[in-house]
Amino acid sequence: MTAAPEEVNMLRVIPSSLASGVVALALFSAIDAQAASLGVSDHAATSADQTLAAASAADPNALRICAARNQPPLSLEDGSGLENRISVALADAMKRRTQFVWSERPAIYLVRDYLDKKLCDVIVGLDTGDPRVATSKPYYRTGYVFVSRADRELDVKSWSDARLKRLGHIVVAFGSPGELLLKDMGQYEDNMAYLYSLVNFRSARNQYTQIDPGRMVDEVASGAADIAVGFAPDVARYVKASATPLRMTLIEDDAVKSNGEKVPQRFDQSVAVRRDDKALLMEIDAALATARPKIEEILKGEGVPLLPPAQ
Amino acid sequence: MRKLLNSVSLLSVLIGAPIATMSAAHAEDRLEALTKSEDNWVMQGKNYSANHYSTLTQVNAENVKNLKVAWSFSTGLLSGHEGAPLVVDGKMYVHTSFPNNTFALDLSDPTRILWQHKPKQNAAARAVACCDIVNRGLAYWSGDGKTPSLIIKTLLDGNVVALNAETGAEYWKVENSDFKVGSTLTVAPHVYKDIVLIGSSGAELGVRGYMTAYDVRTGEQKWRAYATGPDSDVLIGDDFNKANPHYGQKGLGTSTWEGDAWKIGGGTNWGWFAYDPGTNLVYYGSGNPAPWNETMRPGDNKWTMTIWGRDLDTGAAKFGYQKTPHDEWDYAGINFMMLSEQKDKDGKERKLLTHPDRNGIIYTLDRTDGTLVSADKIDDTVNVFKKVDLKTGSPVRDPEYGTRMDHLAKDVCPSAMGYHNQGLDSYDPNKELFFLGVNHICMDWEPFMLPYRAGQFFVGATLNMYPGPKGDRQKGEGLGQIKAYNAITGKFKWEKMERFAVWGGTAATAGNVVFYGTLDGFIKARHSDTGELLWKFKLPSGVIGHPIVYKHKGVEYVAIMYGVGGWPGVGLVFDLQDPTAGLGAVGAFKQLANYTQMGGGVMVFSLDGKGPYDDLSLGEYKTN
Repeated sequence: MTAAPEEVNMLRVIPSSLASGVVALALFSAIDAQAASLGVSDHAATSADQTLAAASAADPNALRICAARNQPPLSLEDGSGLENRISVALADAMKRRTQFVWSERPAIYLVRDYLDKKLCDVIVGLDTGDPRVATSKPYYRTGYVFVSRADRELDVKSWSDARLKRLGHIVVAFGSPGELLLKDMGQYEDNMAYLYSLVNFRSARNQYTQIDPGRMVDEVASGAADIAVGFAPDVARYVKASATPLRMTLIEDDAVKSNGEKVPQRFDQSVAVRRDDKALLMEIDAALATARPKIEEILKGEGVPLLPPAQ
Repeated sequence: MRKLLNSVSLLSVLIGAPIATMSAAHAEDRLEALTKSEDNWVMQGKNYSANHYSTLTQVNAENVKNLKVAWSFSTGLLSGHEGAPLVVDGKMYVHTSFPNNTFALDLSDPTRILWQHKPKQNAAARAVACCDIVNRGLAYWSGDGKTPSLIIKTLLDGNVVALNAETGAEYWKVENSDFKVGSTLTVAPHVYKDIVLIGSSGAELGVRGYMTAYDVRTGEQKWRAYATGPDSDVLIGDDFNKANPHYGQKGLGTSTWEGDAWKIGGGTNWGWFAYDPGTNLVYYGSGNPAPWNETMRPGDNKWTMTIWGRDLDTGAAKFGYQKTPHDEWDYAGINFMMLSEQKDKDGKERKLLTHPDRNGIIYTLDRTDGTLVSADKIDDTVNVFKKVDLKTGSPVRDPEYGTRMDHLAKDVCPSAMGYHNQGLDSYDPNKELFFLGVNHICMDWEPFMLPYRAGQFFVGATLNMYPGPKGDRQKGEGLGQIKAYNAITGKFKWEKMERFAVWGGTAATAGNVVFYGTLDGFIKARHSDTGELLWKFKLPSGVIGHPIVYKHKGVEYVAIMYGVGGWPGVGLVFDLQDPTAGLGAVGAFKQLANYTQMGGGVMVFSLDGKGPYDDLSLGEYKTN
C-alpha cells in the first residue's frame, strides 16, 4: 500500500434515516419539517458539505470510493475490509489517492443513496452486469460456500444433496439464494425463528437487517447450526480464523428450484461506476489489468476460493 | 420440564384433578358473582360480557366536574402502561410494564404496599417485543376451599404466573411462549369459570398464533388452538360454521397458504376476549398473517384475522369469521369483543358480539353462530374497503389503497395502526351505545426493492403515518376520535376529535358519563348522550390504558393508569427521530413528546377527593 486511505468525515452527520426521509419528502409535505429539523436535505448533505464534495469531485487525483463503514469483512472503517484493500490496490494502479466516502448504512444502500447521488464515484464489489450501474471487466469470480465443522462428515457440495433435508439449523442470509432454496425445500419454516434470533428479532421492514457473517460461521463452529451458507467473500475470513477447524466447500452451480428454475450460485465480481461515467470505467478497466496480481494476492490471503471469470 | 416450574404446581396437578369437578361450580359462581358487585372491577373487561360499564351513579353528568384526586400510586417504571388495575375485596392490584411487577394495595389505606411481586426475567426478552414493553394487565380468580384466590399475570418472556392474591407468593408458573423463538406475552390473562386463557404475540416474527387454556388451580394445560395449520391444530369443531358455510369450513388452515407457509403464518392474539356462559363460547380475534409482505403469502391465509367462537371447555371452534382475508396492511384483528343483547332491525332479540376492527370496520355478529348482523365503517374516511357484503361476509376492496409491491399507496385509511387498536371500550346497555376510542390515522405505503449482489436483495416498505382527513396534517395533530355508536342503526350519536389517538379505551357509567384517558395525559369525562366535555385532569404522563370505576365504603372512585408508551409512544420511549420508524408511528406522533413524558402509575379520583386520607391520622407515624 503506497497511498494511505483517507477518510472523509463529511457524511458522518447524516442520520441513518436519510433514504426514507428523502422518500418522505416527495410524498408528504408534513414530513418536511421533520426532515428539516434533522438537517437532512434531499441532497443528503449541507451546503458546506456539498462544496466539499464538489471540491473532491474536481480533484482528479482522488478516487472517491463508496464504502460502508461497518460491513464486515468486506468494508470496515479502519480500511481492513477485503474490498477496502482491493480499492487501495485499484487506486494505486490508477495512480490516484484513495478517498473513502463512508456510509453508516449497509453496502446494499450504496448505489441508491451514494453512487446515484454523486456523493462518490466507484463501488468496489458488485455483480458483473448489474443493470443499475456500469460494471468493469470482472476482477474475480467466486460463489456461495457450505461451511460445516471439519469433524463432521458433512462434505455437502450441492443443494441437491439429500442430507440437507435432514439437518437441523441451516444458516442462510436473509434475501439470499440460500433462503430461496430453503423455502423451496420446505426447510425454511423450521429455521426462521432461529435465523431471526441471530439478529435479535429485529424485523423492521424499512431497514435492512442481516445476519453478521462472522456470527454465521460461529454458529457452525459452536455446533448451534449444522451448516452455514455464505457468499465466499463474506465468510472466508472467519472460516480461516476459526479456532474450531471448519470445512468450506464451493457449492456446485447446479441448484434448481422444484419448478426447474435455476438458482445461480456463482458470480463474477466487478467494480462499478455510474452508467454514464464511461471515461472512469475505461480507466478502471485498464488499472484492473495492472492490479490483477495484487488483487488476487489479497483475495487468496483472505481465503476466498477463486474461479476463472465467465465473462 | 419447563412447563411446570415449581413443585407446588406439580403437586397440584397430581392431587388437584379429582376434586376439580366438584368445586368448579362453586368457584365459577363466585367469580361471576364478584363481577356483579360494583365494589369490584375483577377483570379487565369488568365482566364476562366485557361491557366495561358501571351501574354506579354517585358520580354523574351533573357533578363529575367536582372529581378530585383521592390518592395515587407510582409503579416506578417508565415505558407504556396499558390495561387497568383490578379491584377486588377491598384491594387494588396494580401491574406494570416489563419487568411485570405487581403491587397489592389496601383501598382503605393505600399508605403501605400490602405485597409486591417482582419476577426475575431474562432481559433479552425486551428486544423481542415489537412495540415497547407493555403488559395489558392482571386477572383474578376467586379461589375455593382448597385453592387460594389467585392473581394471574403474564411475563414478557413468555411465562404465566399465578400468585396467591393474599400474599403475593407464587402459586404456579408455566411457560406459555418462548421468547427465544420470537414469542412474547403482553396479553392480559382472561379467566372464565376455572379456566385461564392466554393469547400470544410475535406475528411479525412469524410466530404461529395460538390460544391456550389452563386449569386455573394448577396451571395444567387443557387445550391449545392454533390460528393456522391442520384442522386438528386449529381445533375446528364438527359443526364449524354450520350456520355460515360461506365463511369456510374444513381444511382451510393449510389450503389457503402456499406450501408450509402456515407454519410461520402469524395470527397471534394479544387483545381482549369475552365469554358467554349461555353459549359456553369464548370470543376473541386472531391477528395479522406473516410475513408482512403479502406477495410472499398468496391465499386467504386462514385463520388469521378471524373472530372466533370457541367452546370454553374443549377449545372446539363453533364459528370463525375472517374479516380481512389476505391482509395487506397489518390490520391485526385482536380488538376487544363486547357482548350485548339487543333487538335487531327486525325487532328480534339477539345475542350479539360487537368488535371494532383494526381494518376500520366495526362488526356485530350473532354470537350464537357467527352470523353477521352489521358491519359499518368506524369513520366515513375509511377507504381501503368500500363496504362489507353482509351476505358473503367479504370486504369490497378499493385497489387504489392496497399495498402490493409495485404500487405507491397514498392516503390509505386506516393506517397500519388501525382505526381501532388495543383499546378496551365500553357499552351502555340502556342507551345501546358503544363508546369507542378511535385512531384517526392514515398512511402512505411505499414498497421498495434493493438489489445487492450475488443474488441477494431486500424487499422493504416505508410507511409514513399522519392524521386522517379530519385532522390537521400541518400540525400533525387530530390523530384520534371518541365516538358513540349504535350497532343496530349503524349511526354515530356523537363524535369528537382528539389531538392524539384514544389508545386505551373508555369506561361508561349509569351516571351518563364516559371516561377515558388521552395520550397527551388527560383523563376526561364526557356526557354519554351528547359527548359534551364535562371534566378533565392532566395526569403525570400520557394514557394508553383504560379507566375503571368502583365503590369503596360508599364512595365511588374512578381510577386510571398513566404511563405513555406502547406503539404510539415508541418514538418518545426510545427517542427515535426517523419518522418512518415504528412503522411510521414516530412520524405520526412526533408532537407527543411536546405534551407528555414517561412515567407509570395509578391515579384515583372521587367527588371532592373524598377518600381514605380524609382521616388525617391515616398513614401517620405513631409513637407508642
